[in-house]
Amino acid sequence: MLDLETPLSTSVRKAPAPPRPARSRPHRTNVPGAIGGFAWLLVVMVPVYFIVVTTFRGQAGFFAGNPFALPTAPTLANYAEVIQHDFVRYVLNSVIVTTGAVVVTLAVSLIAAYAVVRGRGRGIRFVFSVFLLGLAIPLHATIIPLYYLITRLRLYDSLLGLILPSVAFAIPVTVLILSNFLRDIPQELFESMRMDGASEWQTLIRLALPLVRPALVTVAIYDGLNAWNGFLFPLILTQSEERRVLPLSLWAFQGEFTVAIPGMLAAVVLSTLPMVVLYVLGRRYLVSGLTAGFGR
Amino acid sequence: MVSGNSTTARGYRAGPSVWWTLPALAFFVVFALVPLVGVGVLSLMKWDGLSAPRWTGLRNWTHILSDPVTGKAAVLSVKIIVLSWLVQTPLSLLLGIFTAGRQRYRNVLAVLYFVPLLFSSAAVAIAFKAILDPNFGISRAVGWSFLSRDWLGDPQLVLATVVFVIAWQFVPFHTLLYQAGVRQIPAVLYEAATIDGAGPLQQFRWITLPQLRYTVVTSSTLMVVGSLTYFDVVFVLTGGGPGYSTRLLPLDMYLTGFTANDMGGASVLAAILVVTGLLLALGFTRLSGFNRMQSQQEGI
Amino acid sequence: MQRSLRYWSVLTSIATATALLAACGTSGPGGSKSSGEAATAWILTGPTEATFRASFDTWNKAHPDEQIKVQSFENDAYKQKVRSAVGAGQAPTLIFGWAGGVLKSYVDAGAVDDLTSDIDASTTSHFLPSVTKVGQIQDKLYAVPNNGVKPAVIYYNKDLFQKIGAQPPATWEQLVGLVPRFKAAGIAPITVSGQDKWPLLMWEEYLVDRIGGPDVMKRVLANAPNAWSDPAFIQANTMIQQLVDAGGFVNGFASISTKTGADVALLYTGKAAMNLNLPSAYQTIQTGDPSFLSGGKLGYLPFPAVAGGKGNPKNVVGNPSNYWSVSSKASDQQKKTALDYLRTGLETDDYSEALLKIGLVPPTTGAQAKLASSSNGPYLQTIYDAAQQAPNFQLSWDQALAPAQGDALLTNLQQVFLKQITPAQFSANMNKTLGS
Repeated sequence: MLDLETPLSTSVRKAPAPPRPARSRPHRTNVPGAIGGFAWLLVVMVPVYFIVVTTFRGQAGFFAGNPFALPTAPTLANYAEVIQHDFVRYVLNSVIVTTGAVVVTLAVSLIAAYAVVRGRGRGIRFVFSVFLLGLAIPLHATIIPLYYLITRLRLYDSLLGLILPSVAFAIPVTVLILSNFLRDIPQELFESMRMDGASEWQTLIRLALPLVRPALVTVAIYDGLNAWNGFLFPLILTQSEERRVLPLSLWAFQGEFTVAIPGMLAAVVLSTLPMVVLYVLGRRYLVSGLTAGFGR
Repeated sequence: MVSGNSTTARGYRAGPSVWWTLPALAFFVVFALVPLVGVGVLSLMKWDGLSAPRWTGLRNWTHILSDPVTGKAAVLSVKIIVLSWLVQTPLSLLLGIFTAGRQRYRNVLAVLYFVPLLFSSAAVAIAFKAILDPNFGISRAVGWSFLSRDWLGDPQLVLATVVFVIAWQFVPFHTLLYQAGVRQIPAVLYEAATIDGAGPLQQFRWITLPQLRYTVVTSSTLMVVGSLTYFDVVFVLTGGGPGYSTRLLPLDMYLTGFTANDMGGASVLAAILVVTGLLLALGFTRLSGFNRMQSQQEGI
Repeated sequence: MQRSLRYWSVLTSIATATALLAACGTSGPGGSKSSGEAATAWILTGPTEATFRASFDTWNKAHPDEQIKVQSFENDAYKQKVRSAVGAGQAPTLIFGWAGGVLKSYVDAGAVDDLTSDIDASTTSHFLPSVTKVGQIQDKLYAVPNNGVKPAVIYYNKDLFQKIGAQPPATWEQLVGLVPRFKAAGIAPITVSGQDKWPLLMWEEYLVDRIGGPDVMKRVLANAPNAWSDPAFIQANTMIQQLVDAGGFVNGFASISTKTGADVALLYTGKAAMNLNLPSAYQTIQTGDPSFLSGGKLGYLPFPAVAGGKGNPKNVVGNPSNYWSVSSKASDQQKKTALDYLRTGLETDDYSEALLKIGLVPPTTGAQAKLASSSNGPYLQTIYDAAQQAPNFQLSWDQALAPAQGDALLTNLQQVFLKQITPAQFSANMNKTLGS
């Protein structure tokens, strides 16, 4: 089982601290590179432009006229209709599920990771191997028994029923990343805590927690994104409008709007706004969270 | 489970006990390992989702394994994984190298490249459904006839379309990995090579590529293992159609279970997915054995 | 400290495990009772949503003690969700459905109540007998009609027919003959949503019925061995593929989704001439482009006859209606509310009026008198006549069959339209689903 530890575990190691000074390549212009770079920019941005510009069209404007032209009679009606369709509730549900999943995951994973790094004994190593196993298995394949389990626990169609499995699926990678960070804390610091007579619990709270805070942010964003974007769990484990989360609402919106496609795309844009805000305000955190230390 | 009695023997100097891992373990066991075992159990039962499950022995297995749809789905899954890797890896590698440059315009481009990552899979799929509509999508804008194809309805094209949409969604992520990888290559290597008279292509071949080998392994692992969960985007984009043209294994599992209401058969497919995932992960570990030996970092 | 943490971990874990086990032990799926006393009902999004909501709103205002909560779902999403919900024992009190094979599986699993004694003739006598019959299984009533009568007819754009100087087709030969003429004028002959599959099924259902009559499908529903190999299936699928080859269906039809209304949009935006569809097409046009209706541009005609076919050309296919069933897992209070609603709240004059207004024929015997006065009069009369005069009203096959068979049917049929399989392969594939 320990064989599983590479490459995932080594690759998930924290990126070595500050990158070497930037390559001081002379700024000769790489023409093919620039052309390719702008070509990919087109591939990325043309669909985005289409999505955004379509949301301002009415029925007539959508069926007739050039889809790339600016709308002749721009309208916010599509956005208004999306918001009237309980959109705020879906956002709120997504926020609850994401927050719940992240907080619980971080709490239990940090304690477990601390034990893995600081603890001795076969028991701990065995538990760690179990978590590593979780990394290698496509856990989403277990959705049918999970559905059975959730219905038996009477958690079907509840936000808690979404949070609990999300936590379980996030634990392996979270424990792994956090333990890699904890391992980088110099041994001497632990030693001096011990000299001061601190218990393991105090050491965790006073020493480890502050030192791994950047890692916690990173892994919180990583887990948070998974919970926020999750589609399969809500699809199968919830049913009602009251428990609908954002990604599922997009799917369920199909056929709901009078101006079908512009309405759908307005919902897509609105569902993406929280991420855009996060990106604008904290790009660095978002990027580090996304790659969650996968970048060597 | 072996309990950690070391605490009592050596005091807390031996570190925290195994109990500390218990909360995390409890979650993982109840909501991941128990269902994992459940896959095996349910694959031996007949269950339509309504009445109580009944034992049926290996009948689900013989039925699913002899069903040509299963074979098609498996072949298709392999195709998607291979094609996705072939498309995404070179693109991400080149874009990663490109965005690692410190020129200002490249930084701006890097910010924009990131945009697809802000969309959820469901959003990406819904948006591309609209974009690729043969009558009201973007093909109408430019009037190029080669764009006005039946991208989601033509069995010959739909696979390419799905690979493209997946690439659109995930290339930015892998670009970030490669960008980080490139930025960690020591500049001295390039300086030395320049002095030796190596051109950009040679530098790429003899410095950049070898230095990025761990990144390639990481990115490929995430790509291949992750591709087993391309479920969301394909489910919303094509629903597995037209015909069986994009019915990947995970989708086949979902449709068998929740549309055809054959939960036992779907569990057989789930078991196949689990085993495949495990084998892939082990395979990558084997393949990258050199990784462990050469790793300068301490073992776990 | 160390100790307290350990105890804390152990305690939480044990507490969690106990709670989980306790919950596991007490109930299986289907064992849990829905809480709360308000009854619930799920409906579909789209044109009839407002009508249903209005009906429940009226009811809720008049019956403060017997509230019904309504939720709406998109058609495909609904079909998948409701199954999971029924399986989890958390079905709505009033289960919306199409009767047929799905209803039978509910009955077999004991998920819906037998309504025979609760809903007696004083209620059912209002409905068209042929429609009520679909809600019965072995002479017991499990489902009550709740929606307009929905036979499929061909909708066509009169302007486009005028443009090429053509008459609406009365026979299959005429229909096929129109294809090159429309194409020459740069008009797509037929629009159909191939992505959602079920719109394709109407072509198959009509052709098989026209060629071989209703008995062909009856043998399939009776699980007769090799029932799908009937020559009628082979011939129908061959004709479909010939129509595809001739370019009868709009380019890219397999990408067109009816969820966005794109199929019908092609008809009223003048890009395609014909569309075989349920009456929902009419409602889509009402919201999409009312001037198309008021301008008298929409035509409608029965599916054409096939020369030498055994089936009566007056037969129709489609959905006789939609139906309410009552969940057996609902609380007594919820059931009482639901039954009271079915008895006195469902079939009201207001409701009939509302259906007529959006262009649907109520499934009631008294509907005929009201048709003429409606603004949709001529159209409604056509639909009513089609349903009323049909010797056989075939329920959509995907609903009539068991779910696994229905799923295989739709996918295989899509492959026929895309010419991925031959008619013979279709029959062979479908024969394998018999008796499963």
